Amino acid sequence: MTSEKNSGTDCTRAWEIMPWVLQATAPQEQGEWLMHHLAQCEACSTEFAQQSRLRSALALPADVVVDVDAGFRHLLERIDAPEPATLPALRPVSRWTRILAVAVLVQAIGIGALGARLWSDEAPQYRTLSQPALVEPAGAIRVAPVPSMTLANWNQLLHDFDLRVVDGPNAAGAFTVVPKGSPARSTHLLQELRASHSILLAEPVDDTP
Amino acid sequence: MTEARDEVDSRDRLLLERMAAGDRAALETLYRAYHGGLTRFLSRLTRRADLIEEVINDCFWIAWRKAADFHGDSRVSTWLMGIAYRCGLKALRQRGDEPVDDYALREGRGPSHDPDEDRQLRDWLGKALEHLSADQRLVVELVYGVGNSLEEVAAIMQAPVGTVKARLFHARIKLRNVLPVLAGETPAQREKLS
Repeated sequence: MTSEKNSGTDCTRAWEIMPWVLQATAPQEQGEWLMHHLAQCEACSTEFAQQSRLRSALALPADVVVDVDAGFRHLLERIDAPEPATLPALRPVSRWTRILAVAVLVQAIGIGALGARLWSDEAPQYRTLSQPALVEPAGAIRVAPVPSMTLANWNQLLHDFDLRVVDGPNAAGAFTVVPKGSPARSTHLLQELRASHSILLAEPVDDTP
Repeated sequence: MTEARDEVDSRDRLLLERMAAGDRAALETLYRAYHGGLTRFLSRLTRRADLIEEVINDCFWIAWRKAADFHGDSRVSTWLMGIAYRCGLKALRQRGDEPVDDYALREGRGPSHDPDEDRQLRDWLGKALEHLSADQRLVVELVYGVGNSLEEVAAIMQAPVGTVKARLFHARIKLRNVLPVLAGETPAQREKLS
């Protein structure tokens, strides 16, 4: 044997076709070429002998014993057994169908939540002209802050004077506020508000024409 | 070889036609014809005899019910092997089992009635297959044991031909390295191909 004479390409080709020559499914000329190569290449010849032995070993019967008679008897028993009630076969659900189902579900939940919210509202958020005017709470004061007043200062003012906003701002930028405590304080409160530099206007709502 | 397989396939197709008409004798003939091969094939996946019988029966249960649906796109043997492969994986999944990684496990092994030479060959093979993954073992079994082409193995395992080719290649590389050692040979002869 003169393995050195063989090129790596030939050995690679030999390696690739060995299984199919062993199976006897390779074309005849491939088989003849391989035999010629093996006669010259010791390494490939050794490899082919190993693979032949591997094939012989794999052709041996399984080393796990499974009784064919018992197995077939069990199969017939299974075939003869009454079939359990089965549900009609469901068609496989496509991905798009699932996405659509999720979208419909989300919409249904949204509509339900919206309906529940509307149902829970005791009064509409609008007033028709035929309805009587809303009754302002007693002691309400209409207050217009200076335009430059910051929200923080406005909140501080409400806190200092113990007021809460019940309406506004209107078209003129005025808010309707009421004292959190007794309305009896209103007169004094009005004076204090008017004295504040941050307040342009402070008028009791009752006096507003 | 190919002619012989074609003859077997023609016989199998006739058996399937008879099975589609409810012929149990045809079912038994096909069952017995493939029982040995399927047992050997599935033994590369699991060593449990009870599980192998269950998978074979799952396979033929399906074949019995679907015989009329076989359109002949492949050999009957390829069709049956594919069903058995999928049933085997499903059975292992349902039990939370993995394909045997330790191929040295010999649970369910039959009595040692082989001639000495066969026993030595079987031990040599068993030790060699320990070095392969389950998928590699199955590809080696299908190519060397059953005699399938790459395309047929791809159809059975429902994998691209390239994937099957890669599994076979890596399996052969591993076997090339371990077989001579297991046979007691020196690795010097392997150097040429390395």
